[in-house]
Amino acid sequence: MMSKVALALRSSFPPFAGALSGASKNHLRNEPLHDCEENCLMLVDALQEYAVVMLDPEGMVLSWNAGAERTKGYQSEEILNHNFSCFFTPEDIVEGRPTEVLRLTAAIGRLEEEGMRMRKDGSLYLAKVTTTRLRERDGQVRGFWEVSRDLSESKESEAKYRGLLEAAPDAMVVVNEKGKIVLLNVQAEKEFGYRRNELVGQKVTNIIPEGFAERLVADGTRTAAQALAQQIGTGIELYGRRKNGSEFPIEIMLSPLESAEGILVTAAIRDISVRKAAETHLAQMEGRYRGLLEAAPDAMVVVNQRGEIVLLNLQAEKQFGYHRNELVGQKVKNVIPEGFAERLVADALRSTEDALAQQIGTGMELTGRRRDETEFPIEIMLSPLESAEGILVTAAIRDISVRKAAEANLLHKVEELNRSNDELEQFAYIASHDLQEPLRMVASYTQLLSRRYKGKLDADADEFIGFAVDGASRMQRLIRDLLEYSRVRTKGMDLSATSGEEALHRALSNLSGAIGDSGARVTHDPLPNVMADEIQLVQLFQNLIGNAIKYQNAEVPRVHISATRNGGGKFIFSVKDNGLGIDSQYFEKIFGMFQRLHKREEFTGTGIGLAICKKIVERHGGSISVESELGRGSTFRFALAASEHP
Amino acid sequence: MKTVNGKGAAFQVLLVDDSPGDARLTREAFLAANPAIEVHVTTDGLDAMSFLRHEGAHANSPPPDLILLDLNLPRMNGREVLASIKEDPALKKIPTVILTTSESEVDILKCYQLCANSYLSKPVQLEAFEKLVTSINDFWLVKAKLPQQGGSDE
Repeated sequence: MMSKVALALRSSFPPFAGALSGASKNHLRNEPLHDCEENCLMLVDALQEYAVVMLDPEGMVLSWNAGAERTKGYQSEEILNHNFSCFFTPEDIVEGRPTEVLRLTAAIGRLEEEGMRMRKDGSLYLAKVTTTRLRERDGQVRGFWEVSRDLSESKESEAKYRGLLEAAPDAMVVVNEKGKIVLLNVQAEKEFGYRRNELVGQKVTNIIPEGFAERLVADGTRTAAQALAQQIGTGIELYGRRKNGSEFPIEIMLSPLESAEGILVTAAIRDISVRKAAETHLAQMEGRYRGLLEAAPDAMVVVNQRGEIVLLNLQAEKQFGYHRNELVGQKVKNVIPEGFAERLVADALRSTEDALAQQIGTGMELTGRRRDETEFPIEIMLSPLESAEGILVTAAIRDISVRKAAEANLLHKVEELNRSNDELEQFAYIASHDLQEPLRMVASYTQLLSRRYKGKLDADADEFIGFAVDGASRMQRLIRDLLEYSRVRTKGMDLSATSGEEALHRALSNLSGAIGDSGARVTHDPLPNVMADEIQLVQLFQNLIGNAIKYQNAEVPRVHISATRNGGGKFIFSVKDNGLGIDSQYFEKIFGMFQRLHKREEFTGTGIGLAICKKIVERHGGSISVESELGRGSTFRFALAASEHP
Repeated sequence: MKTVNGKGAAFQVLLVDDSPGDARLTREAFLAANPAIEVHVTTDGLDAMSFLRHEGAHANSPPPDLILLDLNLPRMNGREVLASIKEDPALKKIPTVILTTSESEVDILKCYQLCANSYLSKPVQLEAFEKLVTSINDFWLVKAKLPQQGGSDE
């Protein structure tokens, strides 16, 4: 097919004849062609990417290569000797564009343009076309070369990139150095609420008001590229503004993109509203916990397993006199020298958790050391805190100086009170003992007087001596009872296992005279062994049974003694009588010193018997009480600890 | 009852007591029990030792058949007097009875360790006291056999 073209060309353009016959060299072997020309022709013929077409001065097609056939769709037979205007769109043809192109090219030598062209099948494509004029030596135009390329082919590969851009999960915006948007993806459209054509060519500040455009502009000290380079790969947090004016937090990643238009910037923009909200929530939560920590009345210190302080509150700063920064990372041993750090370290027998578990919730009393080296007593409560760093220990530390001082003060007061009690009892003992001597003289000599001189003086003298004798002997009884009362403590023996039964029998034996005189019936249940001072237990029974027999008007006074075990290792003893009974208003009073409910003429006594009973029971760690009704007898009850060996 | 020593008074009793009231009461009680007893009274320990050793104002004192010794005495207390008596070969044979208001266990033990012949507490009541003195007389001066005066010097 090319043989004809070549022949035609050779006849028309002798200087190019050789060049144009390359494709048909097999048919032109008889022609004297230069190797070079033949090679050039082969090259043109083989070009697939470029359509290379030779035109005569009127635009008639003189040659046709493989690229032309591929891009424009015509076989060489179909197009040779046809006008090239059929490559233009009908609109261009109407406007006389083909003629215009030839005229301009003829005038200026070379014309380059991008424009739509039409294929044989009528489809349009974007082409980049270069038209070059061919002249004879005399300057006359002999024809044109039209070299064109289908730009849509290169656009196809661009489409692949566009696909990639669109597939990106983030909004992507490409901005030029002037801060104008040159490209964006569908995510960007969605996020900012604009249609693509509303944004292309617009200032990027419309959608990212601050912080982006500034980064594109080099300040005096660096180039835009340098400015950018600093930001590459970093997530910059900014605000995006939607078409409706609402703003939302974004994170943006910049990367430079060199292009024919200069350095472009690709920005990957991510909506971080959700993340920001979560962060805010977390910050709020942490804020609350910190608030809780700071509001705690105690010093709080969190310590890791190495014994280093990792967190503390304001109270801890105050108590120990350090600034927070001075304590964080320090060994807890510096502020609590002993007893805390040791508990963090598991010994060979147990794990840290076990070691801790033993201490949880217990208030340990340790010593804290302030920054100024002064020490103060603390109570410390530990609790484990699982964290990413392993088990931390939260310690609530309370300054117990005040409590300690109060305790010491209380202890001191108790000691003082005990001492004063002891002194008082000692005093009572000594006073009553020493009172006895002069009183013995008074009593003895008034009795001697009475004995020797009764009836020898006058009646007044007898009466006076009588009162003196009576007063002295009553005083003697009071002092004797007082001595007995004070002896309950000063002369008491240690408690030991004592047979209740035996103590009762001794008491009854001591009371045999009174029992015989009154005709009383004293009965009892089996009595247990108890922890007691036997002498005092005898005295206790003796006083209670003695009272039961004494305060009587019954024909046959009856007294019954029994004991029942209570829940807690104690026996409740009861001494029940059928005597006069006691008005309930005196239930408390009768156990006081020198308290009497009856006139001296009715019943003798100093009113100290029950006070001694109360003191004895209390010395044994129990209490005594009475239950009674006037005229219906009384029941006295007291509790004593059971003996371990019954 | 005039037996043993054959002197004017049947018995010589030395009472060592600093309380004149007590001393008089004891003397009254002894006289009530046995009028033949002569009661000599010294009011402190040193005076008692002078009496026993016939020294000073007591050069002519009789050797007592019985000593009644109180413990609370000025200058030289009852225990010291007791110790001196029991260390003295001439005096230790004389029955020495402690008669005191003290009921202290310590006093009782100490006195027996120092070889007191008995330890008696003074009863508070007059009648009880009189009974006690009577029983002292009955036991030490009537029933008990005592060594001859002066015969025991070794």
